[in-house]
Amino acid sequence: MRRLPIYLLLDTSASMSGEPINAVQNGLNLLISTLRQDPYALETAFLSVITFDTEARQIVPLTEITDFQTPDIQARGVTALGDALRTAAQCINTEVQKSSAQVKGDWKPLVFLMTDGLPTDDWKPALQEYRVARPGLTVCCAAGPGVDTAVLSEISDTVVTLDTADSSTISAFFKWVSASITVSSRKIDLTKDDAIGGDLPLPPAGISLIKT
Amino acid sequence: MNTITLQADSGRTIEFTNEIKASGAMKDVYFSPDRTYAVGVFRDKASAELKERMREIVTRYRANLFDQDGGKFWQQHFCWPTDIVCHNGRLGVVAPFFDKDFFFEHGSKNNDMLNIRGKDKEGKWFASASNREKFLDPREKGNWLTHLKICLSIARAVRRLHMAGLAHSDLSYKNVLVDPTKGRACLIDIDGLVVPGKYPPDVAGTPDFIAPEVIATQHLDKTDPNRALPSRLTDRHALAVLIYMYLFYRHPLRGAKVFDPDPVRDEELGMGTHALFVEHPSDAGNRVRRTDLRPQALPWGDPAERPYTMAGPLLKDLFDKAFITGLHTPDDRPSAADWENALVRTLDMIQPCSARCDIGWYVFDNSRSPVCPHCGTPYRGKLPVLNLYSSRTSGQYRPDNHRLMVWDGQSLFPWHADRSLYPNEHLEDRHKHRVGYFQFHDGDWHLVNEGLQGMKDITGCRDIPVGGSVTLADSKQILLSGGQAGRLVQVQMAGS
Repeated sequence: MRRLPIYLLLDTSASMSGEPINAVQNGLNLLISTLRQDPYALETAFLSVITFDTEARQIVPLTEITDFQTPDIQARGVTALGDALRTAAQCINTEVQKSSAQVKGDWKPLVFLMTDGLPTDDWKPALQEYRVARPGLTVCCAAGPGVDTAVLSEISDTVVTLDTADSSTISAFFKWVSASITVSSRKIDLTKDDAIGGDLPLPPAGISLIKT
Repeated sequence: MNTITLQADSGRTIEFTNEIKASGAMKDVYFSPDRTYAVGVFRDKASAELKERMREIVTRYRANLFDQDGGKFWQQHFCWPTDIVCHNGRLGVVAPFFDKDFFFEHGSKNNDMLNIRGKDKEGKWFASASNREKFLDPREKGNWLTHLKICLSIARAVRRLHMAGLAHSDLSYKNVLVDPTKGRACLIDIDGLVVPGKYPPDVAGTPDFIAPEVIATQHLDKTDPNRALPSRLTDRHALAVLIYMYLFYRHPLRGAKVFDPDPVRDEELGMGTHALFVEHPSDAGNRVRRTDLRPQALPWGDPAERPYTMAGPLLKDLFDKAFITGLHTPDDRPSAADWENALVRTLDMIQPCSARCDIGWYVFDNSRSPVCPHCGTPYRGKLPVLNLYSSRTSGQYRPDNHRLMVWDGQSLFPWHADRSLYPNEHLEDRHKHRVGYFQFHDGDWHLVNEGLQGMKDITGCRDIPVGGSVTLADSKQILLSGGQAGRLVQVQMAGS
C-alpha cells in the first residue's frame, strides 16, 4: 500500500505568539479531525509536523492519521526557514520509502509550509538540499501581509497568502489544507509530475492563490 | 440563514437555505429547508452544452426511466435530478435527498471514535479491508448476503442506463452510495451522463475505476480518434471493479508488481497498458504480497486467503471475462445485464454459515460437505440443493444452470417456479410474494406449497395441492408448477 506522506512546516517564531499560534494549534486539531472522517485519507495519508523558530525540529515523525497526537506548539525565537527546509529534506530522505525493482515506494510527499516573516538564516543552500530530496507538490503559505512572497516563490510555484494572520483566516487555511489532502489522496493517481498539480481546491475568501 | 427561493425551468418553486453544506469537485451543495431535496450549484459558469445535457437529464431521460412501467422500482436505485434552476447566473441541479439508510447510524467503533455518525456511507469505507477492520462499527458492516445484494442493485441500475443508451462515465464508490445493513445501493451524481454521439464525457473518471484504455490514451488530444473516452464499455470495467471491491474489499489490479520506479508512472502503467489481474491464473506477475499488507487488511487483502472463486462459478466466469480476457479488449467485458443475471442466480446459491460468523453467508461450492470459507465451520445438517430445469419443447427438460439452496428461512418465489418470470422491474406486484417455503421437521426438509397450481411430486406420482407439502430426498423430481413455463426441480442432497 503506497502511503501519501504529508509534511507540515510551521513557523513558530516569536512573531506568531498570541492569536496566530493558537490558531495554528486549533488548525492542527481541525485538520486531524477532518482527515479522520475521510476513508481515503485514513487509508493512505501519513502526517509529520516540523516547526521552526531559531532552529527547526521534527516534533511529530511521519505518523498514520489515527495514531497522530496533536503536538503542543509554542512561539519563540527567530525564523530559521533554511533549517526547516534542511530538516524536511532529511526527514523525507529517511522516512519516505523509495521504489525499488521489487517494492513499490510511497507517493512523493506533499509539503505545506507556513510562515509569517522573513527568513533569518541562509536559506538558499538549504533549498538546494530540499530540492534534491524530491518532494512532490510544495505549497507555501504567507501568513499575513508582512511576508516577502518573493522568497516563497523561489521555494515553490504554489504560494498562497493570508490577508490577515487572525484565527478565522488561519482556520480557513487549515480547512483548505485538509481539503487539498482529501482531494489528493483520491486523485494522486492520474496527475502528471507533481503529486496533485492543478487539482488543488479553490482557496476560500481571505486566502489568495499566487501561481508564479 | 436566509432562504433562497427560485423558480425551476419546470415552473416548480425551489427553496434552499443559503449555507453551503458540502462541496464537490464542481458544485456547492445546499439543502432545502425541509431536507427533502438538495441543490448543487456549479461554481463555474455552465456551458450551453452542459445546460442542454442537464435539461435532457431532468426531462426526457428522467421521464424515460421513471414515468414508465416499473418506474417506481428505479426510484430506489437512482438519486436522479428532478429540476434545474439558475442561481446568481450559475446552473443549479435539484436532486432528492438521500434516503436515511445511506447515512451512518452507528458510525465507527468505540462509540464512534472517528465521529462519522450521520455522515453519508461513502463506498470507500466498505470497499477497503483495513477500513472495515480498523474503523467500522460491526453493526454497519452487513454480511456477504447484503454485499451481494448491493452488487445486484448496482448492476441493475447500470444495466438500465445502458439499455437507455446512456453511459454513467464516472462509476466509483464515490458516486454509488451503499447501505450494507440492508443491502441497498443508489447511483448518485448523474450529471456526467454520456450519450454517445451527443454529449461527450467531460471527466476521465475516478482513479481505481478508469478503464485501462482510457488511462493508456490520456496523453492524446481529446479529438484524436485513438483516444479512448468514457463510454458504456468503460462503465463495464468500472462496474466489474466495483463488484470485485464490494465482495473482496481489495482492488483487482493492485498487486506487488513494480512497473516503474516513479510512482506516478507506475500507477499509469499498472492501471493502464500493463494492467494485470492480481489473481490471473497463469500469470503470477502481479500477485499481492502478504508482507505488503497492513495486518488489519487480512484476511481479505490477501487473495490467497480469500480467492475470487469464492463468489461461485457464475461470478468467477464474469470476473475472468472482465479482468483476464476483457481487461484490454473492451468488447469482451461482461455487460451489466450479464452481472445482474449471474448475481440473481448466485443469491440463490448462497447459504448461511452454521456458526453464524460475522460474514455470515457463503456461496455453495458444489461439494457434498460444504465448509464456511470465512470461519472454517462445516455445514451442519442436511443441505438440499434444488437444481432448476425448464422445458421449451413439451416433456423435455433442460438444466437452467440455476440452483436454489434450501435453508431455514429460504423462500420459493414465482420466478423460481415459472421460467417466464424474472425478478426485475417488470415483475408484477402479484408475483412478488413467496409461493412456498421450506421447513425442517423430524429430520427431514419439506417444501410447503403456498400458492403454486399444478405442483407435482413426479417421483412419487402425486399432486401437491396448495397447503400440501413434499419431503425433499436425494434425486427426487418435483414439478413446481403446471403450465408451459413451469419448472422442474431435481433435489440433490449435500451436507451431513
